[in-house]
Amino acid sequence: MAVFMDLSIQSVEKKKLESIIETAAHLGYSAVAVNHVANFEKETKKEIAKPLCHEELFEGALPIVQGTTKPVKIVTRLTIVASDPSHCTEMRTTSQRTKLYDVVSVFPKTEKLFHTACLNLDVDLICINVTEKQPFYFKRAAVNAAISRGIYFELVYTPAIRDSTMRRYTISNALALMQSCKGKNIIISSGAEKPLELRGPYDIANLGLLFGLSEAGAKAAVSTNCRAVILHGATRKTAFGVIYTMPRDEQEDKREATAPASKRSRTEAV
Amino acid sequence: MWETLKKCPRHLLVCEKSSFKSTNSRHSIHVQQHYFNYRVSVLIPECSALPQKLDSIIKDLGSYYLVKDVPLHKLVCEEFITTFLSKGSFYALSYSTRIDQDNAAALLPTGKLIISVDKDTYEELGLEGQSSRYSHKTPMRYVISMDLTASSFAPGGNRYKRVMWALAEKKPLKFDFLMAWNPSDDRRANLISYFSAYQLKEYQPSVAIKTLKDIECPVLQSSDLRATSAESCDAQEFFDWQGVVFNEIESENDSGNFLSTYCCPDPNIVVDQATLCTITGFILPEKIHLLLESLCHYFTEPKLTPWAVLAVHGFADSPVTWREDEHGFHKGGENLYSFVVFRNHDYWLQMAVGANDGCPP
Repeated sequence: MAVFMDLSIQSVEKKKLESIIETAAHLGYSAVAVNHVANFEKETKKEIAKPLCHEELFEGALPIVQGTTKPVKIVTRLTIVASDPSHCTEMRTTSQRTKLYDVVSVFPKTEKLFHTACLNLDVDLICINVTEKQPFYFKRAAVNAAISRGIYFELVYTPAIRDSTMRRYTISNALALMQSCKGKNIIISSGAEKPLELRGPYDIANLGLLFGLSEAGAKAAVSTNCRAVILHGATRKTAFGVIYTMPRDEQEDKREATAPASKRSRTEAV
Repeated sequence: MWETLKKCPRHLLVCEKSSFKSTNSRHSIHVQQHYFNYRVSVLIPECSALPQKLDSIIKDLGSYYLVKDVPLHKLVCEEFITTFLSKGSFYALSYSTRIDQDNAAALLPTGKLIISVDKDTYEELGLEGQSSRYSHKTPMRYVISMDLTASSFAPGGNRYKRVMWALAEKKPLKFDFLMAWNPSDDRRANLISYFSAYQLKEYQPSVAIKTLKDIECPVLQSSDLRATSAESCDAQEFFDWQGVVFNEIESENDSGNFLSTYCCPDPNIVVDQATLCTITGFILPEKIHLLLESLCHYFTEPKLTPWAVLAVHGFADSPVTWREDEHGFHKGGENLYSFVVFRNHDYWLQMAVGANDGCPP
C-alpha cells in the first residue's frame, strides 16, 4: 500500500493553512495537496493565480507525520470550475499557468463538459459534485474512457460533515458514480477549510465502504489511487512519461561556450 | 449493499487444547516462533500478589535497545554476522515504520532478514522478492527475504556482493531499530560497543501490576472448548472476556454506561481479587517461555483458582507474525496469542490475527 494522502486542502490564508497541514500530518497523512480554485463559471476572463510556494509555509520546517520520522509532503493543485468547454482551453494545450501546478483537476458542471473532460482534456482529476443533486447521469462510456486514460474521480467529504442534506447528496452521487465505474479510479479527499474538518485516513477508508467500495478498494482510494494521481500529474511535464527535461546549469553553459563546437556535449535527455 | 456494510474486516481466531504433560505439545514452538512481542499480560484469579517465581523472572527480563538511523547494510555485513548471528539469537525490528505505508525491516533470530518495501523502493533497490499477498489490484508492496546464515550468502560470494551493493550504494535504506540480543554463551559480544557510532538508548520493559477486586470470572472446563454443556463458557466468549479484563473495560452493563454494554459470559463466579500484571516493551520469546513454565508450576501446589491466563501481543507493524508468515495492516494489525493454563496442566491456546494475515500455525 502507498502512504496516505489528502489531495484537497483549500488554499486559505497562511496561518490557517499551516494549522490544517499540521493537523493532517498529525492524523497520519504523508502528503497533502493545497488546492487553488479557479472559478471560470462565475467570472469570465479570470487569470489563474500562481501557486503558493510551499517553502514559505512553516519557514521550511515541515511538520513530521505521526508514526514516522519523515516530514509531510506538500504538492500544489489547481481546480478549474467550469460549465462550458470554451473555458477549458487552458487544459488542452500546455498552458503556462497550469504547468506550475503538480495536479490539475476540473470540476465539470454540465454533462457536455464532463464528457469532454473524460475524453479530451489534459487533467488528472475530475471532481464529482457532492453538494447538490447530480444534474446529469454518468455515462458508462465516458467514465470508462477516463479510466483508460488514467484519470481519477474525486469525492469530497467535508460537505457531508457540515450539513445533513449534503450528506444525502454525497452518498447518492457517490453510489451513482460506483454504478458506472465499478469502484475503479476513485479518490476520496477532504476539501477542508478548517483543521476540524479533517478526518483520519482509516476513518475515510470506512467512509468509502458507505460509498460502495470494497474494503481494499476503500483503503486504496486514500492511498494507492492518490499516489497514482500525483504520478499522472508528474507525467504531464514529461514526454510519454519516460523523458523529462530539466534546465542545465548556467555555469556549465558558459564553460561550454568557450570550447570548440565539435567538443561541446550534445544536449542530453535524462 | 446493506449486507456488505454489516460485515466487519475478517479476523481469525484459532483455539486448540492440549496438555503440558503431553510429549507432542507444541506450546514451546508456538511461543518461540512468535518473534516480536510487544505486550505480555498475566492474569491470576484468587491471588493478591504475584507469585515469587514469576516476580523474579519479571525483574530479570533483560534490556532492549533503540538504535537510530542504522543503515541496513550494517546488519548484513560480514562482521555483524560473525559477531552476533552465529553466537546467539539477535532480534531487530524497525521502529516508527508503518507496515502498510512505509518500508519496514526485521531480523529474525533464525538469521533471516525480512524487508517489506513499497513499490518504488523495490524497483529502485534491485533485489529479488515476492509481491505481498495482501495487494489489491496491482502489487504495491514487496517482501524481500534473505537468509544471512545460508552458505549461498557467504561473504565474498556473488549474492553477498549484490546485496551489499544494493543496500549500501544503490538505495541506502536506514531505519531506527529496536534490538535485543540473547547470546548463547557467556562471552557476550557487546551490542552497545558494536553500534556505538549510532544514537543508542537502552530500555527496560515497563511492568504494571494491579490487583482487581470483585471481578466476575467465567467458569471453564478444560476438556470442553466449545462449551457443549451449559456449565462452562466457550473459548470464543472467554477470549472476548480476556480482552475486556486486560483493557480494564467496565463489564457491569450499567444503564448509564454508553461506552460498554459488555457482560461477563455465563456461567461465572465472582472472585474477590485477582492479580493483573502487564509488561510492555520488546520482549523476547525466551523470556515468555520462562513465564509460561513458571505459570504452569504455579499449579503444582493446590490453588483456589482453576485457571490462569498469559496473553502475548505482537507488534502491529511487524513484517511477520509466526515463523515467516507475512503480516499486513488493514485497519488493525493485531496478532496475538493467549495461553489459558489449567490446574490439571491442560492448556488452551488461542491465536488471533486480523484482516491481512494468514492463518496462525
